Amino acid sequence: MSPRETVICIGCPLGCRVTAVTDRKGTVTALKGAECKQGQKHVLEELRNPVRTLTATVRTGDESFPLLPVRTSRPVLKVMLRPIMRETAKVKVKPPVKAGDIVIANVLKTGADLVATADWPAPGEGV
Amino acid sequence: MASRVDVAVIGAGPAGLAAAVAARERGAERVVIIERAEQLGGLLPQCIHNGFGLLYFKRDMTGPEYEKAFIDMARSRGVEAMLEAMVIDLDAERGITAVSRRHGYMKIKPGSVVLAMGCRERARGALGIPGTRPAGVMTAGTCQRFVNIEGYMPGSRYVILGSGDIGMIMARRLTLEGAKVEAVVEIMPWPGGLIRNEVQCLHDFGIPLLLEHTVTFIHGEERVEGVTVAKVDAERRPVPGSDRFLPCDCLLLSAGLIPENELSCRAGVEIDPVTGGPVVDQNRQTSVPGVFAGGNVVQVHDLVDWVSWEAEAAGRSAAAYADKGRLKRADGVRVLPGKNIRYVVPQFISGKDDVTLHMRVTRPGLKATVKVGGVMWKRYRTVRPSEMVILEVKGQALREAGVKGELAVDCEIRGGD
Repeated sequence: MSPRETVICIGCPLGCRVTAVTDRKGTVTALKGAECKQGQKHVLEELRNPVRTLTATVRTGDESFPLLPVRTSRPVLKVMLRPIMRETAKVKVKPPVKAGDIVIANVLKTGADLVATADWPAPGEGV
Repeated sequence: MASRVDVAVIGAGPAGLAAAVAARERGAERVVIIERAEQLGGLLPQCIHNGFGLLYFKRDMTGPEYEKAFIDMARSRGVEAMLEAMVIDLDAERGITAVSRRHGYMKIKPGSVVLAMGCRERARGALGIPGTRPAGVMTAGTCQRFVNIEGYMPGSRYVILGSGDIGMIMARRLTLEGAKVEAVVEIMPWPGGLIRNEVQCLHDFGIPLLLEHTVTFIHGEERVEGVTVAKVDAERRPVPGSDRFLPCDCLLLSAGLIPENELSCRAGVEIDPVTGGPVVDQNRQTSVPGVFAGGNVVQVHDLVDWVSWEAEAAGRSAAAYADKGRLKRADGVRVLPGKNIRYVVPQFISGKDDVTLHMRVTRPGLKATVKVGGVMWKRYRTVRPSEMVILEVKGQALREAGVKGELAVDCEIRGGD
């Protein structure tokens, strides 16, 4: 690990550029540039194990509604984004689906489920 | 549509849905949303990414989830919707002409109208990029629809012109779907979208953001083969000799959104030349009595949460107008954008009641102070053109200051970018 690393904090619109100084073992010894405590926490987390919520689509096989939008039920490690994308390409869902339904449980053992974010079939006229 | 309509809402995006729900909650008997698409939600169904609802619902939601929350509310409050119905005219007396395959030609005279038509993307014709006219040039939102709704990948190698949020979000989406995004090209010295998108969509995937650059030529006969990218000077003109060729088979445009106000203009609604949307008072009433407006048709918002809130205000006012046949204008004071402020919405306030001012600054800066005349001021650690500045002003403070006529809003910036 490089002794210095800069992370842009996205905890709030301020977008602090925080520089972390690490020792030879990779332990963070100092943080410079964070305006708040929460930002420091966020940056430490971002350096240690950055996580993201993944959103994607899965196939339905239906002509008029070919894709169902999905998300991970919680943020997953950043390095898992591409492997999970490959999993989404392998599945096909069948109607009816409700938002929140699990499409893949504990996807790639990340502890997150891949869940639908929309109802299918979609609601029609008349609201 | 023989029976009476109290409030007609034009557009079923986040603004239309929120306005309709609020109008019902404020007592309007019959609230009808008229929507040209075949489903509700406007652009939300194709915005499959998260980041919605953090303010409104205090939850990190995707576009479809945010949409569903409002559709569920609309359904439980008895809002009616006419889908695949296109409003083709609105007159100065709130007369709506609409057509649909199902209902044919319709004339509706509602008690009041809410304009919620949203906005559309700036297209190639408005940017004036030289070159040929091959396939593969499209707006970021069009590409988003192809990829997220229809299941097509329009290309495999992309350049994105403009660093608006949709462009950056598509950069990530296309990369995750296996495409190569060569660069996001931004003519301004700062990104056009939110910081979180710059970090999570570009930095995360090593996608270059070329600030103070633009596309000066599009190459290719049948299909895009590449673009010429050049650095620009302080006047935003290409610097000779700085150009280079970037190969790609798609050029996405994410260079600004334009409020969609053709109908507003037909009704004679006064348009603010800066926002591109109707001039509204504190109640979101336009210059035409009984016609209200909310959401991106008024001003292009940064977050959907603010769209919903603004449209709710319009919906409540529209319900009040439909009930009494009138609504006193809250336009005692004209709010004027001053130093470093591009615009302020609403353009008119009562000068007596609490009001939330929405504004955009002209340039980014640190340690900013926004001053509302002699009434009040507020410090901001940072301001950016890509983010709305929201400022609540107390009615008591306005009354005590005895504000009359005009009120200027200025932003003092002490630090640099």
